[in-house]
Amino acid sequence: MRNFIFSFLALILLPAYMSGQVIKGKVLDKSGIGIPGAMIIADDSKTSADTDFDGNFIINAKVGEILKISMVGFDALSIPATANVMSVTLNESKDTELKEVVIIGYGSRKKSDNTGSISQLSATDITKTKVLNATQAIQGKAAGVQVIGTDVPGSAPSLIIRGIGTYGADRTPLFVVDGIPTKNINNLNSNDIASFDILKDASSLAIYGNQAANGVVIITTKKGKGDKTTVEYDGFYGVRTPLKTVKMAGSNRFAYYSDVAEQNTRFSTDQRYNTNWFDEITRLGMYSSNNLSISGASDKINYLFSLNYYDEKGVLDGLDFNRFTFRNNNDYKLSDKLKITQTLSGSISKSTPKPLSAFTSAYKQSPLVPVRYDNGRWGMPIIGADGQASTTGSLFNNVGNPVAQLNYFTEEQKNLLLQGSIGLEYKIFEELKFTSRVGVEYNTFKRFSYTPTRELWLAADPSRDVANYSASEPINELVTGRSDYFNWNFDNFLTYNKKFADIHDVEVTLGMSAQEFGSREELEVRGRNVPENSNYWSLNQSSAPSNNLVTRHVIGNQRNLIGYFARFQYTLMEKYLFTGTIRRDGSSQFGSDNKWGNFPSFGLGWVLSKENFLAESETINFLKLRGGWGRLGNQNVPINQQTFSSGAGLGYDFGGSLYSGTTIGAFIDPTLGWEITDETSVGLDFKAIENKLSGSFDWYDKNTSNVILNVTPPLTVGTGATPAHAGEISNTGYEVSLRWDDNINDDLKYWIGANYSNNKNEVSKVYNPLAIRQNGGSINNGQFTKRLEVGEPLGSFYLFEVAGYDANGNFTYFDKDGGITSNPVETDRKFFGSSLPTYYYGMNLGFEYKNIDFSVDAYGVGGNKVYNGKKAQRFGNENIEASIATDFWTPTNTTAGNPAPFNSVPLSSDYYLESGAFLRVNNITLGYTLPKITNSVSAVRIYASAINPFISQKFTGYSPELNNDGDPMGLQGIELDAYPTLSSFIIGANVKF
Amino acid sequence: MKRIFIPLTLVAVALLSTNCSNDFIEVAPTENIAEADLLTIYNNNDGAKSFVTAIYSNALSFSASSFSWNGLTSMTSDDADKGSDPGDSGTDKDKCDALTLDATSLSVQEVFETNYQGISKANIALNYLPRLDKADAAVVARLTGEAKFLRALMYFNLVRCYGGVPIVDHVPVPSSAEDTDMTLIRKSKEEVYKFIETDLLAAIAALPEKSGYAISDLGRATKGAAHALLAKVYLYQGNWQGVKDQCAAVTGYNLVTDYATIWREVGEDSVESIFEIRGYGGNPSQGIEGYMVSQGARGTSGWGWGFNTPTASLANSYEAGDVRRDATIVFAGETMWDGRVVSPLVANPRYNEKAYVSNTKETFNGDWETTKNIRVLRFAEVLLMQAEAANESGTGDVTGPLNRVRNRAGLANTTAVGQVALRAAIRAERRHELAFEHDRWFDIVRTGQAKSVMAADGKTFVEGKHELFPIPQKFITQANGKATQNPGY
Repeated sequence: MRNFIFSFLALILLPAYMSGQVIKGKVLDKSGIGIPGAMIIADDSKTSADTDFDGNFIINAKVGEILKISMVGFDALSIPATANVMSVTLNESKDTELKEVVIIGYGSRKKSDNTGSISQLSATDITKTKVLNATQAIQGKAAGVQVIGTDVPGSAPSLIIRGIGTYGADRTPLFVVDGIPTKNINNLNSNDIASFDILKDASSLAIYGNQAANGVVIITTKKGKGDKTTVEYDGFYGVRTPLKTVKMAGSNRFAYYSDVAEQNTRFSTDQRYNTNWFDEITRLGMYSSNNLSISGASDKINYLFSLNYYDEKGVLDGLDFNRFTFRNNNDYKLSDKLKITQTLSGSISKSTPKPLSAFTSAYKQSPLVPVRYDNGRWGMPIIGADGQASTTGSLFNNVGNPVAQLNYFTEEQKNLLLQGSIGLEYKIFEELKFTSRVGVEYNTFKRFSYTPTRELWLAADPSRDVANYSASEPINELVTGRSDYFNWNFDNFLTYNKKFADIHDVEVTLGMSAQEFGSREELEVRGRNVPENSNYWSLNQSSAPSNNLVTRHVIGNQRNLIGYFARFQYTLMEKYLFTGTIRRDGSSQFGSDNKWGNFPSFGLGWVLSKENFLAESETINFLKLRGGWGRLGNQNVPINQQTFSSGAGLGYDFGGSLYSGTTIGAFIDPTLGWEITDETSVGLDFKAIENKLSGSFDWYDKNTSNVILNVTPPLTVGTGATPAHAGEISNTGYEVSLRWDDNINDDLKYWIGANYSNNKNEVSKVYNPLAIRQNGGSINNGQFTKRLEVGEPLGSFYLFEVAGYDANGNFTYFDKDGGITSNPVETDRKFFGSSLPTYYYGMNLGFEYKNIDFSVDAYGVGGNKVYNGKKAQRFGNENIEASIATDFWTPTNTTAGNPAPFNSVPLSSDYYLESGAFLRVNNITLGYTLPKITNSVSAVRIYASAINPFISQKFTGYSPELNNDGDPMGLQGIELDAYPTLSSFIIGANVKF
Repeated sequence: MKRIFIPLTLVAVALLSTNCSNDFIEVAPTENIAEADLLTIYNNNDGAKSFVTAIYSNALSFSASSFSWNGLTSMTSDDADKGSDPGDSGTDKDKCDALTLDATSLSVQEVFETNYQGISKANIALNYLPRLDKADAAVVARLTGEAKFLRALMYFNLVRCYGGVPIVDHVPVPSSAEDTDMTLIRKSKEEVYKFIETDLLAAIAALPEKSGYAISDLGRATKGAAHALLAKVYLYQGNWQGVKDQCAAVTGYNLVTDYATIWREVGEDSVESIFEIRGYGGNPSQGIEGYMVSQGARGTSGWGWGFNTPTASLANSYEAGDVRRDATIVFAGETMWDGRVVSPLVANPRYNEKAYVSNTKETFNGDWETTKNIRVLRFAEVLLMQAEAANESGTGDVTGPLNRVRNRAGLANTTAVGQVALRAAIRAERRHELAFEHDRWFDIVRTGQAKSVMAADGKTFVEGKHELFPIPQKFITQANGKATQNPGY
């Protein structure tokens, strides 16, 4: 490493290379605005220059020598140099495709020359939907990119690019923000984003080697431009409510139903209380964002400063989140050859989480229980001799008081994330550029939770008296924790670009990337009996200091990655395109024999519209066929090093003292390495009818050939599951995007677009028999709902199939031979489809008429199933939905939609499984740009949006969009402890000074 | 231009230098200790002890000694009902109570799984101990004895629940077909007992008496404990001479005066105590998970979930004046020894007092992991085993040891005469002396009384089936044809 850094420094200090006479000039577009980045070449003098941010250039050349001036998106021009300051006007190229540039790994590429599949979204796409995390805003806007949203304040949605190809390894794509690799962009202010490029196919992704298997999202943040300082303010305020609610049984219905279930008259059917628990734990959600940015540019520097404050009060009582972010992006042009780029951003977020299980408690708790009794004590499910809610009597279910649960749950989290990078771009000579970049990320996290143990004891039983509280038990408990980590990355690459003989355009990129994901150090302490006032919540204030304890101190494993990459891009006559990449990656995650891997790819393209037979076509303006193959890796797998488990958790008491124990919890498989995904894809891009209609089509076949599964040793081995390469997962699909853009006249333009993605996910092989039949989707009642099986997709529901009712109105089930049984065994279960959709689609349309802009976005999924997990939680007098309380089996109504009332854990069956398909209007926005009022205010736009105003769903629960833990074999697609999808209405303004 | 190419070449060389990059991706673990560091970190007495500590610790889990264990050993029997609210099944505890367990029942799986997890920890300890050459040889020898005692205890639990099971006597190598068969193929009940005996004989040879341990080692397996467990292993096989010999070797123990104190904190490590599973109620607590709370009184004035409740049949079976009735059962409406008033409105009429921990008169640090120790072996049982072996074999003192137990309970000498009457007396004595000590079910099965006893309790005991619990379906599936299910399941 030391050698390397030395030579790197030597490179920076190279003196500039100068000769000849100085020619000055400016390159302008038709409207007289300077064009930055245009290239000026003096062939005879063998010199070249770029225009600066205002279009000015200085070049060493002779007067009269021909200067070639070119810029992407404009027709090239040759003009003799003059001694006076030159003024050159370039005409815009008619081929609009030329103007579009996509960001690829370690570089950018003219869209028309690109052979891969990349979805690009602009700043306006991202900021229109008002959300914390930009990922949510792109839902439905890019084909092949599935976003499973969540409205939990401060949470991140799941992003799935062309299906999930892993089980036991990391599922999230890699985000590269201004060159800094990261896994979560919750820290990123959406207003700062300039572009969002999603690399979807293996031929584009392979340059990211063993971090690329889940796809890569390259985010570029804004830079200052223009010669004036621009001050921009954007702010909105909105209210949020659940999009759908579920009608629960009232207390009299509940009483009747439970009496039938218990076959007695324990509950009076004329109840005193009728509590709507959902209403009691929720409130009107509110959120707002205020954003201020200052940006501009001069000859040498461009700059951008931004500040943002996002504040949200969740619909769940007490669940608040706020985030403050700042950013400073500067570019310094030190010479014609050397540019330094710098970014710095910080995000400080604070939240007060509340347990989402309160939603399930509210669903389950009986409406006959009051929030509080008349004497002020918390209501509990206690039934008196008169069949009414009472402070003494028998406890009729095990559900707590949801309001008390929230009231006594006090937690606060604070997170600081700093990201920054310093890079240099050095033009060694005209065709060869060297780029070097160091990125750093520092995170520190603090939390505390306060549990009023005595109050909880009192709340659990209204007949308890505080005088009887045991002196040996804590009055309260304070847990406070800290964690931090520091990551860095260091990328260096050379880019060589030259056009030979006017037809051979060659670009070569060579480089290396080193990354360190530092140890996360966590510390957690616990104290008892601190003062009730929150300003004294520290262990120093504990009145029982002998109970203070360090409960956790862990230094997580560090992870280092190093990679070398090369890319060759070739364009012949702007018609025939070739891209080849190779990356060699090493990772500290694996044993010494498995540290290194190679990840090759290639892509081919053919621009048919440049061929003679299409060049004259009036209908087809652009048509490109492209295809490729690549190999990707996923190194974010469990660390492959045999370690001991040790500590107090394995400890034991001898002679009155605790000693820690040591053992091996699970044996590792020494051959474990990265997962390998191979993908073949083909696609086409086109523009037609005067460029009004544009679109693309893609097909891909992706296979992860050594998926890591948990190999569960037989119970008699007694150790835990071992991650090992044990199977294959395939994803095959196609994507279609279409968009129509038209200007009817100068005042009215409109567009309409749609995209559709289809993906078939399948666990195609499992070659270790101990790795199949892994159950998942455990729903907290001892029942599971999902299973991993060959031939089925991930997230497949594996359930009993209800056949009908027996003579008592209890469910009967089909056995595996098609017979009917009341006591099915596990082998009678069947597969009923997956929580992963087989297709999803987005639609958007809008128009701009004079000063008015209007747009609508919609999103839908289909082919997936959702499990109504909360509904399966009645096993001891929990509440039921109104629809069940009014339609259940009785001896005189044997064809009812629901079984006879029961009080036992229901078997996981297709009764609880529902269609997960939905179509939702994600966003309707109406904006109005005010006529110019004063010279100091250059533009004012006011807008109103409705986010998620309508949904069409078959699911009877709150929301069919259920990300939960983001794990298809976990709680994804299961409604249990789930936050409802929200509908939001906002108004906002954008002002530019 | 040359000035540019020289540093560029240097860059290229550095980029491709494999030494540099290989070093970069060698990262030492920080989260857990690497196995490769065994001999630098664990090669000493404390290191050696820690591998054995983990085996002891295994018994503290909720499934090993608490909820599922109570489900199989207690709620099944005529001494206990499921308890709790009728609507709360405790996953499958209703099935334990009704004798309708099947191979997928959680209790059946957890007891199987958790004992093998402990056996795995014992095998791991036995694998590493011989390599720790810097630890005192005497300490390593003793620790080896402890590991074998604990492994024997866990196999004894398994063989009583499931009959013959696979004997895993070393850490299996996944790629070895032989080792795979070892983990999948069931051995006969006799082979398992033989294996247990071998481990216990090795433990007897290696372990010191209780008095031979330092105070700081109190609670480790002793020679006396190994003798007592071996006596019990022989008892289950009807090897009466073996029982007598082993019981005779249990020396240095006596009965405590007050039966009621045995299961309280003051009764821990008493002169009567031979082996206990030890809960640590300190900070951090490391106790038997949920033992107290799962069996605590439920509802108004209660302190737990109310499972595993004494039956009326047990409560009514005590002779008048037997102090063990009140020491074993918490009655609704009573005032307990520590002054706690139990409301008459609690959900169930009776609760298990042996699981009770006082939060005013005993060390108390939360109700999930308490200071409660489970008395696995105590001297009163040795006396009862002696009486039974003497009575069954026809030689030796039957009434002497039996009456010691009776007298301590406040009862007069037995009036039973003759082998048959004495057999009934000994059985009744075991029931009352050892109630809720995880033996009743096994005792009624072992002695062939299960069908009649369970019928009296209103339950159907199917002979040829219910003597054993089913092998967990999960294991049968894993064995893929190599393991058979028990008859009737």
